Amino acid sequence: MAKLKVLAVCGFGIGTSLILKMNIEKVFKNNGIDAEITNTDITTAKGMNSDVIFTSKELFTQLEGNVKASLIQINNFMSSKEIEEKGLPVIKKLV
Amino acid sequence: MAVINYLTTNIFKQPSLFLGVIALIGLLLQRKSFGEVIKGTFKTIIGVIILFKGVNIISSAVSPLSGAFSTLYQLPEANQFNPTGWLDFLGTNGSTIGVVIVLAFAINLVVARFTPIKNIFLTGHILFWMSFISVAVGAEAGLQGMALTMFATFFLALYIIVVPALLRPFVKMVTGSDDFTIGHSSSIFCLIGAGVGKLVGDKEKSTEDIKIPKSLEFFRDTTVATSLILFITYIIVGLIIGGTTSQEVFGSALGSISTIPGMQFDLFTFSLMAGLTFGAGLTVLLTGVRLMLSEIVPAFKGISDKFIPNAIPALDIPMIFPFAPNALLIGFTVSMITSILTIIVLAATGLLTYAVIPLAVACFFDAAPGAIFANATGGRRGAIVASMVNGVIMVLFVALSIPAVFNTAAGFNQLFGGNDFSVWSIIGSVIGKLF
Repeated sequence: MAKLKVLAVCGFGIGTSLILKMNIEKVFKNNGIDAEITNTDITTAKGMNSDVIFTSKELFTQLEGNVKASLIQINNFMSSKEIEEKGLPVIKKLV
Repeated sequence: MAVINYLTTNIFKQPSLFLGVIALIGLLLQRKSFGEVIKGTFKTIIGVIILFKGVNIISSAVSPLSGAFSTLYQLPEANQFNPTGWLDFLGTNGSTIGVVIVLAFAINLVVARFTPIKNIFLTGHILFWMSFISVAVGAEAGLQGMALTMFATFFLALYIIVVPALLRPFVKMVTGSDDFTIGHSSSIFCLIGAGVGKLVGDKEKSTEDIKIPKSLEFFRDTTVATSLILFITYIIVGLIIGGTTSQEVFGSALGSISTIPGMQFDLFTFSLMAGLTFGAGLTVLLTGVRLMLSEIVPAFKGISDKFIPNAIPALDIPMIFPFAPNALLIGFTVSMITSILTIIVLAATGLLTYAVIPLAVACFFDAAPGAIFANATGGRRGAIVASMVNGVIMVLFVALSIPAVFNTAAGFNQLFGGNDFSVWSIIGSVIGKLF
């Protein structure tokens, strides 16, 4: 299948989502998952084609129902453990 | 010699190319593949070019409003700064701004390596704009060349090292962990918020126990929220200054607001277009910043990971948004209302002699996070009172920072100030007077 498209989303798509993206990259690398990870803002995310979207609690409800991708809610963007626990089961189903 | 000469007079004078060089070095240091190095360098350069275009669009959407305010309150001619002067300054000093970022970051690394202050500043866009402010206050003090670079470097280093360290205990209180601190222009409001919350509130009654109606949630989409606020502001200001004046002041800006030539003036259409043009400019600007930073920040982080294993990153403010989203929404609404009221009252009484326009961006990203800290120390009462206070002083900060950086960054503070950018413009101008 084509390379997995993953989005890291925050309100402005600059600071927080970049940190999230870097942490997702780290988790994926440790687990041998090959994916194209992009960070973006919430408005753009709604119009982008993707397989999985990682985002925060307060933006989750706005994306819910508006996108086809599987949504994953992360409370602490610095926590590799949280990204791994919530993200891996979803990713495994897709790959 | 000829090569160095060529680099300094041609390549380094273009901020986009210069930042591309920084990204190139970062990518080479990380030993990325040839393809990735080319991709990353080009993306950075394209990002900076887009950033400048975005800023131009934003300026064209807001400058009619500044014009209207000047007419409305009959501001003295001498106090009317060139609204796009900061862009020229940014263009001519782009390379100095880049050098200052690299040098100040290096000082940050050394301090984190050898002292107990372990925070490393990783919020790229704040580094960029605060470097811009540092160079601006140095230039206002009459410094040039090497002296300007040195002054701006120490000034920026002071900011990126001290401010996140001050915030660290409060961030710990909000998040319950010591994984990161905040490195962002909202720091002043976070500190005031924590203080005010402690004075007036009760932290047991949290904002997060309140049910916020779902219909208000679209406000979290900042681009939409700021466009809407600017649209409403244009309508109100247009109605106040009256038909003929608005036709005169706004009509002359039709060319830069319209998407195709031949637009006719009427207040509703103009306001709608101007408000949404701001949103468009903001989206473009953010796209540029995103392209630029997605290469530079990982490089900075890679370097810091290598030299300082127990470093604490100082990160962007939305990192704490999930811990109290209700407080954020309350903070935004309350500070927006009190800041607009402050502008109206001060302007009507003639105390405000500079064009201060509603600060939608700063209310969301700077004042509102203050409410999250206020909630942590003083619950919902703390969050509301702190946001009222923050809305008022935000306007005062802008008003005081405009004369401080009148010839360099006044227009920037008018659009994006009211926060640490304004506070440090004021501090810098006081220090600059010592020279």
